[in-house]
Amino acid sequence: MKKICVILVLMLVFISVLAGCKKEVVTEKDIADMTFDEIVEAARGTTVTFYGWGGSEDINKWLDETVAKSLMDQYEVTLERVPMVPAEYLPKLLNEKQLNSKGTIDVLWINGENFYSAKNNDLLYGPFTEKLPNFNTYLDGTSPDVLYDFGQPVEGYEAPYGKAQMVFIGDTGKLTTLPKGHQELLELAKAHPGKLTYIDASHFTGSAFVRNIIYDIVGYEVFLDHVADKATLKETIQPALDYLKELKPYLWREGVTYPAEDAQLDNMFEDGEVYMTMTYTPFHVAGKIADGSFPETAQGFLFDKGTIGNTHFMAMPFNAPNKAAAMVLIHHILSPEIQVTKYDPSVWGDLPVTDPLKLTEAQMALFDAVDIGQGTVPQEELLVKRLPEMRADLVPIIEEIWRDEIPGN
Amino acid sequence: MRKLMKYMMLLMILIPFVVMMIWSVTSSWPWPQLFPRNFSLRGYFYAIHPTTKAFGILLQSILLSVIVTVITLTISIPAARAIAFYDFKGKSLVKVLILMPVIVPMLSVAMGIHLTFTKLGLANTYLGVILIHVVPGIPYGVKILLSIFELNGDKVEAQARVLGASAFQTFRYITLPLIMPGMVIAGSMIYIISFSQYFITFLIGGGRVVTYAMFLFPFVQSGDRTMASALSVIFILSIALVVYISEKSVGFFYQKSSKYYV
Repeated sequence: MKKICVILVLMLVFISVLAGCKKEVVTEKDIADMTFDEIVEAARGTTVTFYGWGGSEDINKWLDETVAKSLMDQYEVTLERVPMVPAEYLPKLLNEKQLNSKGTIDVLWINGENFYSAKNNDLLYGPFTEKLPNFNTYLDGTSPDVLYDFGQPVEGYEAPYGKAQMVFIGDTGKLTTLPKGHQELLELAKAHPGKLTYIDASHFTGSAFVRNIIYDIVGYEVFLDHVADKATLKETIQPALDYLKELKPYLWREGVTYPAEDAQLDNMFEDGEVYMTMTYTPFHVAGKIADGSFPETAQGFLFDKGTIGNTHFMAMPFNAPNKAAAMVLIHHILSPEIQVTKYDPSVWGDLPVTDPLKLTEAQMALFDAVDIGQGTVPQEELLVKRLPEMRADLVPIIEEIWRDEIPGN
Repeated sequence: MRKLMKYMMLLMILIPFVVMMIWSVTSSWPWPQLFPRNFSLRGYFYAIHPTTKAFGILLQSILLSVIVTVITLTISIPAARAIAFYDFKGKSLVKVLILMPVIVPMLSVAMGIHLTFTKLGLANTYLGVILIHVVPGIPYGVKILLSIFELNGDKVEAQARVLGASAFQTFRYITLPLIMPGMVIAGSMIYIISFSQYFITFLIGGGRVVTYAMFLFPFVQSGDRTMASALSVIFILSIALVVYISEKSVGFFYQKSSKYYV
C-alpha cells in the first residue's frame, strides 16, 4: 500500500514537471517584420497546432496524413491537429484576451458568424495574408469568395481554406424527377406526402436551405444592402414564408417538427424514411455512396437559379505561440498540390480556393485527373450556379422569423 | 418470476450495447431490414491507424482518470469521515455545499475557473486538467463514503485504539478494509465521471491535453453512426476493463485482512 502511494506521488510529480517544461516557442521578432523566407527558417523544426472541427474521418485523415507528411517533408514542421470547434475555442480565447496571456492555438478553422465575433473582439492576428506567396500567386485576391466571409470584409485576417456549396441529394430510385426550383419541390412534396423535409433552420445547413428558398423566390440582390431589422426583413421574405407554409403539411410529420441536423436527415435518407437530403459539402454524396451508406441511386442536384456557396477560412489567434509555423502551414495548404488532394471526393471533396486561371497547365491537369465520383454535380456547374452567402447579421434574424412562423401547429 | 425479472433487467441493459456493437461494424442498415445490409470495419481501422494516435490517447486518458480517482478519494475519505463522526457548526450547510458540483452545471463555472487557472498558470497544463476533473468527482466520493462510514460507525476503530493501535495502524488495518467496498464503488464512479468529461477538459487543457472523450465526441456529434459506435465500444470496454481490474486487485490485496467485505 505504502509502495503504491509512493509510486503514485512520484508519478504525479513527474507529470507536473513534464507539463511544466513543454517546449515553448519564442517568437523573438514579430513576424510582421520578417520576409517569408525568414519565417520559413524560423518555423523549421517546430510544431504547429491546428484547431478545427474533427467530426469527419476523411478530413481528419487528410490532415493527419497528407498535410502533416508533406509539411514535414517540405518545411520540417510537425502538425498537431486538435478536434475543437469555435464554440469551444472562442470562450478560451476570450478569457486569454482578457488576461492577455499566452495561447496554445496557432491556426483556427473558422468562418461566418464565428469569424465576425472573433474579429470584432480582437481575437485574431492580422492582416497576414498578403505575406503568403501562395496566396498572392494562386488566389484571385479580388474575388468575393476571398474578400468576404458571409458578407463581412475579411481584410487579410483569414486565408481561404476551401469552398463549400449547398447541394441537394435525391434518391432517383424513388423519385422520378429531381426538382429544379421551389415550385417543383412543392409538387414533388404533394406527390410524396411525408417523404420530404428539410433541416431545422436553427442549424447551419437548415438555415442555408431556408435562405436558398428565399433566394429562389425573391432573389438575392435585395439582401446586399438590406437593413438588419426584423420587421422590414420579414416583409421582404414574406413570399418565401408563404411558400414554406404551403409546403409544410406535405412534409415529414406534417412539418410540425424538423430534423435537428445534417446527420439526422442523412440517417433518415439512408434508412429510406425520406427521399431527399441536403449538404453543404458538394461531393458529400460520392463519399456516402462509396462507403455504402447511401444507395447507388442517390444523385446530387442544384436549383436552376443556383444554390448558396461560402468559403471556409484559416485564421491565427492574437496569441498564437508559433506564428511563423502557422504562416507556413497556411501557405502550404494554399498550394495547388495540396488543394487538389482535398478536392478528391474519396479524400474530402472540398472545392479548391485556387483560381483556375492562375494555375500552370501541369497544375490544371492535376485537378482534371481527379475522379469526382458517383452522384455528384461537376465543379463547372457548381461554379456557374453559385450564389453569394447572405450577410452574417441577417442570418440570425431570418432563423428567428422561421422559428416564430413555421414549426409547430 | 424473479428469474424472469432478472433476465428482463439484463436484457434492458444489454440490448442497447448489442445494437451498438452491431452498428460498429455496419455501414448500412436501412429501416425495414432486420439485419444490416453492409458490413465495414472502418471504425476499428480508424482507431488502430497509427496517425490517429487513438491508442496513445486512450492510455493517456486512463492514466489521467486513475490519477484523478486517487486524488479525489484521498480528499473524500477524511471529508466523509469528518462529516460522519464529528459534530460542528454548519455541518448541514457543508453537506449541501459538497453536492454543489452536481447541482450547479459545470459549464457555468468552467469559464470562471479557466480565468483563474490562466492567472495561476494552470490553464493548458496536465495539472490543471487533473484539478478540474477532481471537482465533479468529489460529491460522489464523499456521498458514497459518507454512507459507508455512517453504516459502519466508529466503534470498531475506537476498539482498536483502546487496544493500543496507533492512528495509522487503525486506519491501515481497520478503517481501510471496512470502507474498501465503498471505495471501490466510489472510485469507479469518480473514474467514469472523469473519463467522460468533455468540455472542461477542452477549456482547461486548451487542446494540449487530449482525452479519449474529446477524440470520440466529434464523431457522435457529426452522426457518423459506424465510427461513433466503434469508438464508443472501445470507450465502454476500456472502462469495464479498468473497473474490473481495480475490483479484482482490491479483492486480491484484502483477501487476508477481511473476509467480510470484498
